[in-house]
Formats: sequence, structure tokens, C-alpha cells
Amino acid sequence: MEEVKAYIESGILELYVLGQLSAPECDEVEAMAAKHPEVRTEITAIELAMEAYALENAITPSAKLGDKILKEISGEEIISDPRIIPLYQDANYSKIKALRLALVACVALLAICAAALFSVYTQLNTANEQIASLSTSNDQFARTVNKLEFDKAGMENRIAMTETDEWMTVKLAGVANSPKAKMLVYWNKNNKSILINHSAMELPKTDKTHEYQLWALVNGKPVSLGVFGENAKEAVQQMVTIEKAQAFAVTIEPVGGSVNPTMEKMVVMGEVAI
Amino acid sequence: MAPTKKISLSEEELVSALKRQDTVAIKALYDMYSGALLGVISRIILQTEVAEDLLQETFLKIWNSAGSYDSSKGRLFTWMMNIARNLSIDKLRSKDFKNANKNQDIENNVDFIDEQKKINFNADVLGLKDLVTGLKPDFKDVLDMVYFKGYTHVETAEELNLPLGTVKTRVRMAILELRKKFN
Repeated sequence: MEEVKAYIESGILELYVLGQLSAPECDEVEAMAAKHPEVRTEITAIELAMEAYALENAITPSAKLGDKILKEISGEEIISDPRIIPLYQDANYSKIKALRLALVACVALLAICAAALFSVYTQLNTANEQIASLSTSNDQFARTVNKLEFDKAGMENRIAMTETDEWMTVKLAGVANSPKAKMLVYWNKNNKSILINHSAMELPKTDKTHEYQLWALVNGKPVSLGVFGENAKEAVQQMVTIEKAQAFAVTIEPVGGSVNPTMEKMVVMGEVAI
Repeated sequence: MAPTKKISLSEEELVSALKRQDTVAIKALYDMYSGALLGVISRIILQTEVAEDLLQETFLKIWNSAGSYDSSKGRLFTWMMNIARNLSIDKLRSKDFKNANKNQDIENNVDFIDEQKKINFNADVLGLKDLVTGLKPDFKDVLDMVYFKGYTHVETAEELNLPLGTVKTRVRMAILELRKKFN
């Protein structure tokens, strides 16, 4: 940039404006002006100063000189036929100008519309994403509430069972192939009805084609007390009533239950304490 | 030309009208710049009649060589001003102009030589003096010779016995002063 500054300060641009340079020198200045905007700006400033200076020092020519020059340029026709020369040769110029303006306005409007549409589209996408995420969290919330209500019902039942003498609690423990499994069976001393509590059991998972079956061992023979699934709607489920039993057990059976228990699929078992 | 309203057009309109050889361009240019151009010519050629002939020649040349004007290289006025200056300088140096001056009586001739040597002003242009008298004499002399008298900067350097670089710098300083006044 120092180089450009030095170039400007050399005074060559003034000589250029004053028409004092040779053709190759002019080419050089024009190349510099094309390359460096500040050179172009400087030239224009010099030009404007010289122009203002010349206008300031104008000398009005004789009155007739203007006519003489125009005559010279356009011949005698101007005198013999003083027709109006339109400012713009094209009569439609102003119309074209207006149309051009309208076109520019239309393009601008289109650009604004496109921008607005894009903005709305973006906002819509954001809103959709928010709705999706809200609905996901709502689902989660609903599941949590269901689970809590299920657990609460189960817990209330368990508390009720411990506070009353009417019900006997039978603990079923895991057997060899499912040592961690456990479950509680409630047996009413009076009417002999059986309840199981889904929140008070830990059993091995079953697949879709199997479910649990509760058995009572009566004098060494298994009696089915009904089936129950993994995902019960109610925490507390009533099973088949049994008058007498020495033990209870749960096996995994095909859906619908079996007539006789599949002994190797037994998961828990517990004897009734007398 | 009937005494009509003076025409004034923007530079763009002027250039495009000139390029398509619309006489409105010359009318407008004449209304806008004939005085300024005559001012430029009169500084080089002192005789009013000759100066006006040169102004006419200038407008003819502007009209006929409109095609060679390139707006990317400079303003229209600069181009016109240089046409006027070049025609004036050519005239000043032409044989018939020198002879015509020689044929004048001796008193006038002395005046003329005086005017050419020293930096004096045509009575018509006396008002101009003010504009450069504010300058340092060093700057003023150089600008006078290069701008008013039609010397080239090389001739000016020889005439004033100055290095070329100094002449260039002084022309710049003088024009910078003018810019302060006008820009």
C-alpha cells in the first residue's frame, strides 16, 4: 500500500488528468486505477477539482456561437424545420423505465416472500419437533404414572395382607433352575380364596407363547389354580379357590395352561406352614 | 437555436446521448460547459475571436469523436477539457498563428512575447487570478505553465530549471490546494 501512496503522491495522476502523459504512461495510470480503487478515487477527486475550477472560471461565449455550432453539427435542417427533438429517442422509454421498476419491485417482493416462507417453514419444523418430543415425554409420563398406580395398588394390598389375620401368606422360593425367583401367594383362611400380587413377585421372563400357571399340591397331586401373564393390568389377581393344599408351585406352560404341570419348567415352590 | 430553456442532463445521460449522436447532447453540453471550456481555451489563446473559433472546433471534435470517449477512464469533462486544451496548444504552436502574431505591430508583439514568457493574464480572465494567488508562488508558477500556458511538464521543468520530479510535486500541491477549495 506504501507503493500506491507513493504513486499517488508522485503527481503523475495530476499530469494524467491534465492530459500531459504519453500513451504508454496513460496506459500505466489506467492499469493502476483499475487495480487500486484509491488511485481511481484520487483521479476522480482531481477531475472534480479541475472541473469545479473550470466552471468557476467560465467565460460566457458570444450569444450566437451556440447556434453556429449546432448548425455546423446538424446542418441547416434545424433552421428550416425546427422540429422538437425528443429528449429520449425511444418514445416508450418512460414506459420501459416504469416496467423495469415494476419488475424490480416484483423481484424484491418475490425475494421477501421466499424469505418469509422459508422462515415459516423453519419455524413449523421446529414446532413439529417440539410436538414430537413433548408427546414422547407425555407417553413416558403416562407410563410412569401407570406403573406407579400399579405398584401402589400392589403395595396397598401387601400392607393390607400383613395387617389382617384373615389371610395367610405363603412364600414361594426359587428352585434349582431359577434360584433367584420368588413370589407370594395369599390364601384366605375363611373362604379359601387365593390372591397373587404382581408387585410382589420376581419370576423368570416368558416368551409370547408361554405364561405362568399356579398349582396347588393337594395330597401329592397338582391342581391347577389358573394362569397369569407377565404383564397384568391389575396388581392383585384372584385365582381359583382351593379348600386344601400342602404346597403351591408355579410352572411355565404354553399359553392357556396345561392339564398337568411340566415339572422341569417349575420356577418357584413353597410349602404351606401349618 | 431559439432562446429555449437551458438543458442540463446527468453525466450518464449526456454520454449515452452523445454516443448515439443525439444533438440534444451537444445542446446540453453547450449549455453546461461552453463557458468552462472557453475559460480553459482563453488561458492559452488570448484573442477572444480565436478562442471562440477554437471552442467551436472543440465542440465539433467532441461530436465527431464521441465514440472514442471511454467513461471508465475518466469523467466526460476531463476528456472535453483535454480536447479544448490540445486544440488550443496546437493552435498556439501552429505556424500561421505565430505568423499572424508576428504581423501585428511591434508593440502588440512585445506584449505577446511578454505574455508568453511571464505569467500574465488576458483581461477577460483577470478574475481568475484570485484562485491561484492564494498559492505559494512556486506552486502557482508551475500550475500556470502546465495548465494555463500549455507547456508540457517537461518543458516547464526546462523553462524553470527544475527537476522533473519537483515539477510533478508542485503541480500536485497546487491542485491539492484547488481541491481544498472545491471538493
